[in-house]
Amino acid sequence: MSIFSCQGLTKKYGSTLALNELDLDIESGPPVALIGPNGAGKTTLLSLLSGFIRPSAGQATILGEKPGSASLHGKLSALPQDANLDPRLSIARQLKHYARLQGLSNSAAIDAVQKSLDTVQMADAADKKPDELSHGMRKRIAIAQMLMGEPKLALLDEPTAGLDPPNVKIIRDVIARHADATTFIISSHNLDELEKLCRDVVFLDKGQLVKHQRISSLQEQQGVLTVRLNDVDADAFMQACRELPGTLNISLQEQGSFIIDYDSDAHPAFDIRMIELLNAKGWQYRNVSKGRSLEDKLFD
Amino acid sequence: MCLRNALTAAEPFEFNLIPGWPDVKNVFLIAKFELVRLLSTRRGLVSIVAFAMVWLVLLYYVIFRASRVLAQDGGSGLVSAVLDWLGMERLTAWAVPELAVYWFFGLMLLPLFCISLTADQTASDRSRGTLRYLVLRSTRWQIFFGRYLGQLLVLLLFILISIVTTLPVVLYRDAGGLPDWLALMPAILVNLMIVLLPYTALMALVSVLAKSARQATLYAIILWIAVWFISGLLMNYFPGLSFLDWVMPSSQIPLLLRSVGWDALQFAHIPILQSLLLLVAGWWLMQRRDL
Repeated sequence: MSIFSCQGLTKKYGSTLALNELDLDIESGPPVALIGPNGAGKTTLLSLLSGFIRPSAGQATILGEKPGSASLHGKLSALPQDANLDPRLSIARQLKHYARLQGLSNSAAIDAVQKSLDTVQMADAADKKPDELSHGMRKRIAIAQMLMGEPKLALLDEPTAGLDPPNVKIIRDVIARHADATTFIISSHNLDELEKLCRDVVFLDKGQLVKHQRISSLQEQQGVLTVRLNDVDADAFMQACRELPGTLNISLQEQGSFIIDYDSDAHPAFDIRMIELLNAKGWQYRNVSKGRSLEDKLFD
Repeated sequence: MCLRNALTAAEPFEFNLIPGWPDVKNVFLIAKFELVRLLSTRRGLVSIVAFAMVWLVLLYYVIFRASRVLAQDGGSGLVSAVLDWLGMERLTAWAVPELAVYWFFGLMLLPLFCISLTADQTASDRSRGTLRYLVLRSTRWQIFFGRYLGQLLVLLLFILISIVTTLPVVLYRDAGGLPDWLALMPAILVNLMIVLLPYTALMALVSVLAKSARQATLYAIILWIAVWFISGLLMNYFPGLSFLDWVMPSSQIPLLLRSVGWDALQFAHIPILQSLLLLVAGWWLMQRRDL
């Protein structure tokens, strides 16, 4: 089922074209990654769908309704970038106000606030004011407001930007837990996180759609191994790999991260041999995975 | 459970909402939240205390003393002659002199207070991004009119507080003054609220355009001077456009100063029409403004 679609969606800021006649159709299901370089139009697209801004041309429908329609209240939620709660009022009071506006009764609103704060492990912050919290905590509160009322579609703009690993993990776990009931569309530059969470990827550049497909189908997974090592002599590792039967090519991507092309037909257990090699040499690895990272798939 | 208790205790009252009017429900919820914001934030409480202090000074040094002079003058002395000269002779016709003085100062000072108090209807929430959270749950017109109604409720509270403080002064002068005070007080309350309608609507409009309360106030002043200048210019060159005299908020104040009690309602159409025009303009802008 299509959860949102847009045709010819265009947004101009003065003479700057942020979105250029975008045609896109996204179905409900597992989280969708929205990626692209800065200025690609990701935030503009999410803002248009959320009803924060109006398109210059084209149209969009979300759950069969126009963006900003009252029928979407409670069904569509968002985590806008750089949006903050009122610093003068407690978190719980503001979230309860939002829940009431979504149509919940007084009692149901209190339950919804309690539940959403529990979900992001922020129940203790209910009586605090936003300025008393760290950046990561405020982001989790913003996730809590997004989850209230169990929306069908949630639009997240840079949910993990500037967060420390524990907060990133909490947010990732929350999204993963709610992915059955809610379709998440996540805009982020953190491609590792997106790869862990998302099934599909939408790649925008210069306001236009470049790719929209399954992450798994971006490139053949067979015959490529990504290895990330801790404190290993890169030359020694690359030499050892070249001597490993089946190796076709090896390249150093960044410090400690290697991509190895191998003959998967003749050497189907190449990954096992690689781990045996690492073990035999006593080299510590962070990660060995089949295929390339999302970043390598998209930008190589 | 702790959270439930805290939030339940924080709910001071509940509006009886009209069944089957879901759109209006959110307007009331937003308006009610404005009252909560006033009564539960330091900034709101500071405004109440500041208003109360200014008002008590005004009550003691001006209303109390001026009403004595007005009562002793009896309508035929020097004070009456001066008021007559100023075109405010009807102030001596009020059965309760304290309310006559309150009426005068209310008409002069409350619009200024209103501009200051209602400047930030949506401005800082927009620049902070809080409006984005709201617009996911309410339509823009609900937010715009909810905030407007909320500010009117806040003003009503302030006027009620100030007008009630005149009662002890009245009773101190005349122990039997309660019936006259009760008869005139609602008329003053209603008419002052009507006077403040266009000011609040003007601030709702400029708040849509501004990024902060200070900027909204600045825009209001610029708009005010521009409209005053242009309408004056047009009336000067085209005498047939004399109706433009009524474009400015408070243009009916001289007429109100010549009215007693409910008589002032005969000029209510002027601020109501001004408010409607300003609200339609503000709503139109709100619908189109990027958040």
